Parts: sequence; C-alpha cells; structure tokens
Amino acid sequence: MQDQPMTGYESQVQALIGTLPGTDDLRAQALEAFEAEGFPTAKTEDWRYSDIRALRKQVYGLAAPAETLPVLPEPLGAVSARFVFVNGHYDEDQSDLGDLWQTVQIRPLANHFMANAERANELVRGDDAISYLNTALLRDGLVLSVPAGVVIDAPIEVLHMMTGAEGAATHIRHVVELGEGAKATVVERFLGDETGYWTNALFQARVAEGASLSHIRVQEEGANALHTAKAYVNIDAEGSYTSVGLSVGGKTARFEAHVRLLGEEACAVVDGVALAASGQSHDTFSHVSHTVPAATSDQIFRTIADSRGKTSFAGKVTVAKDAQKTEADQSFKALVFDKTAEANAKPELEIFADDVKCSHGATVGELDAKAIYYLTSRGIDPATARQMLVAAFTAAALERVPAEDVKAAMADRIDAWMTARSVKAVA
Amino acid sequence: MSMLKIKDLHVSVADKEIVKGLDLEIKAGEVHAIMGLNGAGKSTLANTIAGRDDYTVTKGTIEFEGKDLLALEPHERVGEGIFLGFQYPVEIPGVSNLNFLRTALNSVRRYRGLEDMSAAEFMKLVRAKAAELKMDPDMLKRFVNVGFSGGEKKRNEMVQMSVLDPKLAVLDETDSGLDIDALRTVAEGINAQRRDDTAILLITHYQRLLSYVQPDVVHVMIDGRIVKSGGKELALELEEKGYADVA
Ligand SMILES: Nc1ncnc2c1ncn2[C@@H]1O[C@H](COP(=O)(O)OP(=O)(O)OP(=O)(O)O)[C@@H](O)[C@H]1O
Ligand SMILES: [Mg+2]
Repeated sequence: MQDQPMTGYESQVQALIGTLPGTDDLRAQALEAFEAEGFPTAKTEDWRYSDIRALRKQVYGLAAPAETLPVLPEPLGAVSARFVFVNGHYDEDQSDLGDLWQTVQIRPLANHFMANAERANELVRGDDAISYLNTALLRDGLVLSVPAGVVIDAPIEVLHMMTGAEGAATHIRHVVELGEGAKATVVERFLGDETGYWTNALFQARVAEGASLSHIRVQEEGANALHTAKAYVNIDAEGSYTSVGLSVGGKTARFEAHVRLLGEEACAVVDGVALAASGQSHDTFSHVSHTVPAATSDQIFRTIADSRGKTSFAGKVTVAKDAQKTEADQSFKALVFDKTAEANAKPELEIFADDVKCSHGATVGELDAKAIYYLTSRGIDPATARQMLVAAFTAAALERVPAEDVKAAMADRIDAWMTARSVKAVA
Repeated sequence: MSMLKIKDLHVSVADKEIVKGLDLEIKAGEVHAIMGLNGAGKSTLANTIAGRDDYTVTKGTIEFEGKDLLALEPHERVGEGIFLGFQYPVEIPGVSNLNFLRTALNSVRRYRGLEDMSAAEFMKLVRAKAAELKMDPDMLKRFVNVGFSGGEKKRNEMVQMSVLDPKLAVLDETDSGLDIDALRTVAEGINAQRRDDTAILLITHYQRLLSYVQPDVVHVMIDGRIVKSGGKELALELEEKGYADVA
C-alpha cells in the first residue's frame, strides 16, 4: 500500500477541519478508515472490471471554484427546482429553488449544517476507501427533506458541472429524506469538460413508510473523467425507491447502489443503461438486501459496448433468513458491437430464506442481423435500423423513469450515441 | 417497357452456388409466377433482388428500370420501388408495427424527395390498408411480428406492401400458411396492387393462389435455373403431373 498516494489526502482533510460544523470528528474517522482500507486494486474482487489506476497514480486535489462560468444546458424536462454545483460548489445564481421551500426543506448541505450541526450525525460514513474519502472531504451537496404526505410532482434536477479541474476532484454528498407517504423525484446530471477530473458523488436516502423516491441519473461526464457514484438507500414498509441510470460519459465510470429493504412490502428498483465507446468502461454494482419478509426488488440493466468499450454489471441480492415471500428479479442484457467489445455480468444471490421467488438472467449478444436486414428491406437505412433496434433494446431499462420528458431526453441521448457510432463507421 | 431484367445471374451463399445462370424479364403491368422444388433457389433469387448482403452475386446483372440494381443498398432498392414479401417474416421485439411502418414509409418518401407524411395522414392510410387486408387494428400496436401466427405474419407483409406501394413486388410464398379466407383476402390485396405501372413476381407452390391472381407468365425453377416458362396453364399442368414430367 506504500505506493498509494495517501498523504496528500490527509492535508486536504486538515484544510477542511473547522469549515463545516459537526463534521470534524467524522472527517477524522473517515480518513482513518480510508487509510486503513486503501483504494481498490486490480485484485479487489468487487472492482475487477473497473480501471481505477488513475486513483493510485495521483492525488486529486479539491476542485477550486470555476474561473469562468460555463454555459449550462437546459433542464431535461419540467422541474420543480434546480440545484447547480460547479466544481462541487453550490452556484446560487444558476440554481432555482422555485417555491418548494414553502413545503419542504431544500437547501445546500453546507448552509444546512451551519444551522444544524447535529444533523451531521446522519451522514453515512461509507463502506470502502472511495466512500470514506467522500465523507472525509465532503463540502456541499443537496439536502432535501420532504415532510410526510407531501408530493412533489416535477423532478428536482441536480446538475453537476466540472470545468477547468484537471487533476482535481469533487466529493459531493446529497442527503434525501422522505417522510411517510411523501413522493419525490431527483434527477442527477453529471457533465464536464475534457480535463482529467474526478467526480466522487454519494447519494444517501431514507424512504419512510409508504413514501416513494425516484432517483434518475444521467451521467455525461467529459471524456477523460473518472466518475464514481454511490447510493445508500434505506426503505421502510411499503416504501419504494426507483433508481434509473444512463451512463454514457467519462473514461471510467462506476455506480454502486446499496439498497436495504427494511419493512414489509418495500420495493426497490435499480435499472439502468450504459453505453461504452472505445476506451470507456462503465461499471455497475448493486447490492439489494432483503432483511424482512415480503419485500420486492427488480433490476433491469441494458448495456452496449462498441469496439474496445467495456460494460460490467454485478448484481448482488441477499435474502435474510426471515425474509420469506421475497421477490427479487434481475435481468441483464448486453450488446457488443465487435470482438474487442467487452460485457461482463456477475449475478450473485445469497438466499437464506426458503419461501422466495428469485430470478436472474444475463445474456450477451450482437445486434440481430436478420432484423437489420428486415428493416432495411422496408427502406430504412442501416444506421436508422440499428438505432431502432437499440432503442427497442434499451426501452425496458428506461421504462420506470416517472417523468415522460426526462425519459424522452434519455432516449434521445441513446439515439445520439448511436448516430455518433454510425458517423464513425462511415468515416 | 421492361421493369426487371435479370441476365445470366449466378448467386453463391456460403461459397455454394445456388442460382446458376438465371434469366428473367418482367415488364410493367405483368404478373409472373415462379414455381419449383424446395431448395431450387427461389428465395435466394428473391433475396438477391432485395439485396441481402450474405448472398454474393458472382456473375450476371440485374437491371431495374434500366438501373444497375446490384450497385444499390437494400434500403435504396426499396426507394427505387422494390418490395420483398418474406417467406419467413422476422420478429422484432420492442419495435411497434406502427413505428416500423411509419419509419419505413417516411424513409421511402425521403428517398423519393417527398416530405414526411403527417402522423394523422399516416394513421388514416394505415388504418385503411389494415381494413382492406382484414387485419385487426390492434395488431398495428404490437411489436413487429412478435407472437403473430404464421398467417398473421403474411397478412402483415401485405399491409407493409400496400403502405409502401412498390413498383415491383416480389412475394415469396405469401400464400403459404394462410387459411382459405385469408388466401382470398391476400389475393385481393395482390390484385389491388396489379396495375399498368406495377409488376408482381409471385413465388408459390400452389395453383390455388394463381386461380385468384392470374399470372401472365409461369416459370419453373429447378436447381438454380429457370427450365421452362409458359402461360397460366403451366401451373395446372405442374399440379397434375409434378415437376419431373413437366420440366
Ligand atoms: N445461408 C445459407 N447457408 C447455406 N445454404 C443456404 C443458405 N441459404 C440458402 N441455402 C441453401 O440454398 C438452397 C436454396 O435455398 P432457397 O431458400 O433459395 O430455396 P427455395 O427454392 O426458396 O426453397 P423452398 O421452396 O423450400 O422455400 C437450399 O439448398 C438452401 O439450403
Ligand atoms: Mg423459399
């Protein structure tokens, strides 16, 4: 572990001591845990498909505020509020809290802790070096608490933008809480320029009885970025959490969902689409844990790897001894466009109860040449034919995005990715 | 005027010669039928006209309205006015019949320099065509051919043909697997496509279709060649005596 650049992070933590009430001890503990654990290596089983050599080669500094403000894209659809973080710093001017503040608690994490230091106790510490580092170095994020019974219809968009942050990182932390019967959708977007930065995002949520949280992620980081994101979610009885991701950006990207079903009839959905072009790797790791009876989980993943692209999915489901009547399904399908494209799948079921319905399926294949011929024999050009088949292939994994405009925007991005492939094929 | 002109066509599939020197000329306004033993190369010929890329033309030419058809991609051939009704239509999960038809029609229109058809106009057209071919309109919303019965798939091919309105329709055993009523409906669809400015090439095993759609010329294909051509009475003769005695 000597070769690991640890000391650099120590001084970064030092610099943050005293900046955010209630977090000093937590930072110190997390740093200690981080140093004890060390970054994953090529041998770390859960990380074997991710190329994170960059983490071991350099110390990523804390990203400074942007010198020039980038032009922000429009929201993906109708929003009830928009949070903008540029280089991990809350951008008040470009954010818009709408009138949500009247019914729910919604504010930047830094402001929140200034007023409520004790709330820092609720921060999840993490479970590996990368999440510990997030805890040790967090500066800001979104705090959203939706009181019981409050329903927010339009999504809250959280836009992360990285610019001019070569060799720098942002460790952003979002804390979401839904009271009983509350309902909300958070759309996280990740964007950035071509610099070699690191986004290390952590989303923690608590979904109370009968509440329903949708968590949409649209990852379009810059081409040289490292993206690591985690969601830690606890769901009470009859509550539901729906995560739908689209991963297209970055050089190396990984998303982890750690979801615990803590009450009967709680429901977890972890769906996603990942599209890997040459040199990219997109990695998804999910761990859904059924601890009580009669909860359900369902995961639909569709990935596509172009030449020299790589996608991986590892889905772990654990069903505790008492968790009878559990229903857990997992469907993973990958397309590879040629022999140099790679798709990995690793389902892992640990079932200790006996009366459960669990299923999983994983397939890897190519686009159906017969179907392409059939479409072209009706006048459709080959690029459009492929695009149609890819849209059909990915549709099931986007189906559970609750906002139609966001879903359409995600589908558009898949189309655009396919268009870029065929332009390249022609050139 | 000659619409399709095939000269000395040789086609190989997986390095095996299947079509072995075939000549065929079809004029506008004509209906031709090709009959022949299983494995004679009828579908290979049909797919070569449509441009399937794993079928290699090793010799010969195909001209369509004077243009070199072999130089065109499959989708361009459709733009020029060719349609192939498949012997085995393909299932495409996740793509709705409507989306498929609309994308196809607008692709062909763009190829011909026309504007896209509006959604309302398109729906009207498709509903009318489905009704003519007695296809349940609910099937338009389903995924292309997925879970369709054999006969429903063939009817779906006919709907596609009539929406795209080709100059030359090559129908590969569109009559196989149809019940008697469906056969009559499909035959009516083919007859509706029969005009002075269109041509039809029917590939069939059965005289029954030809009693509804009377061909101008009947060809007998054996082992990659057309060995005999004649009038519609040739089909009756084949049905009576079999291929061995006729050809
Ligand atoms: N992809 C392929 N690979 C190898 N052989 C093929 C391939 N496609 C067709 N063939 C062979 O070519 C020959 C002609 O096939 P084709 O489908 O054209 O016959 P057909 O006349 O349409 O027969 P049928 O009346 O049974 O439909 C057959 O022997 C078939 O096995
Ligand atoms: Mg055939």
